[in-house]
Amino acid sequence: MGKIKIKIFVVALVAVLMAFISTSTLAYYSTVGKATNVVTSGNIQFIIHETTDQGKEFPKEGVYIVPGDIVSKKVSIESDCEHPFYLRVKMVYGVDSQELSAEDCFKLNIDEEHWVLHDGWYYYTGIVNPGETTPNVFSHVEIVGSKVDNSYLGKTLTLTVKAQAVQSENNLITDGNTHTASGWPAE
Amino acid sequence: MKKILTILIAFAVAVSVVLPAYAANGKATYSGNAGNFVFNPGSDYSPTDLFPHFKGVMPGDTLTQKITVKNDADNKVKVKIYMRSLGAHAESVEFLSQLSLKVQKSADNEMAYMFDATADETAGLTDWVCLGMLYSGGKVNLDVILDVPVELDNAFQNEIGYLDWEFKVEEFPIEPDDPQAPQTGDDFNVGLWSAVLVCSLFMMILLFAWRKKEKEQ
Repeated sequence: MGKIKIKIFVVALVAVLMAFISTSTLAYYSTVGKATNVVTSGNIQFIIHETTDQGKEFPKEGVYIVPGDIVSKKVSIESDCEHPFYLRVKMVYGVDSQELSAEDCFKLNIDEEHWVLHDGWYYYTGIVNPGETTPNVFSHVEIVGSKVDNSYLGKTLTLTVKAQAVQSENNLITDGNTHTASGWPAE
Repeated sequence: MKKILTILIAFAVAVSVVLPAYAANGKATYSGNAGNFVFNPGSDYSPTDLFPHFKGVMPGDTLTQKITVKNDADNKVKVKIYMRSLGAHAESVEFLSQLSLKVQKSADNEMAYMFDATADETAGLTDWVCLGMLYSGGKVNLDVILDVPVELDNAFQNEIGYLDWEFKVEEFPIEPDDPQAPQTGDDFNVGLWSAVLVCSLFMMILLFAWRKKEKEQ
């Protein structure tokens, strides 16, 4: 019996020593890992909304007019980016006749509380933040009867709203006039 | 029930406050035993992206990205951690060459920048730069500063720039005169104690068997 006990003791001792040896063996490694880092640039984007006073989109094909008509056309601009910006708009008039001029044919009720005229552009007085929509630049257009006479019969008059924006981040204005901001695109 | 609800809400609020702060820092963690580095937080553009702060950058921006390089290996080894830049991907060179990038260790602002060049270059990180010898749990903090020139052209809107960094680790044995590594609780020798447990159980079973046999005799 004594011999068996000794054998078992030896086996147990060897097992313990094996555990020691297996856990105390170390290899010293070297390894390399690669990180692919990414820088992305932001952007400034907006959407020009042109609607009627019924809230419908202004017809792309236009509307028939007669002198003296007042056409409902609400123009506002919605931010479509993650950065705030300054904004300016310009109305461009046209007519499909070289002999005629579209100037003074339209009279707009510009919201002069929020839009200030400077060098032919209406500058929005505030900052358009992400997700915001500006107040209407104007909400209706009067066809000036004294200007649009019979010579305009059958002609197409166009009123195009052009808008430009520049970032307001890192672009402080000191005098409150947004036209003094840096970076307005060249016309 | 109300108490449980209150605790759950408080926990959710705490998590929502802590998580964004955690996610804002880049982390390069070495897990030990020649395991891979783990890079966090990653992004939609790259799973190993260390630059969460450098998204949607705008002209005139100066942004700082903090990156923690950590040794999570156990207490048996100390590691030397190196880094180097492989530069910009070919399609990103035009955009990244417009931007200025600086890299320095956070704890030592008096040191010269280990990298100070346009973001497409490898410059001071062309060769391996040793960030330090780190014991288990040790870490090095890096400040990465990105400057976007205010005159950056409109043509660079919506650009994506990729640049690769490599991290290398070399393990060394802990020497007797090394400073005591902090107790992280992960140095428990599972193999040894399991072997002892198994042997003890085995011996106990045998002793019971012998005693029983002797009684029977």
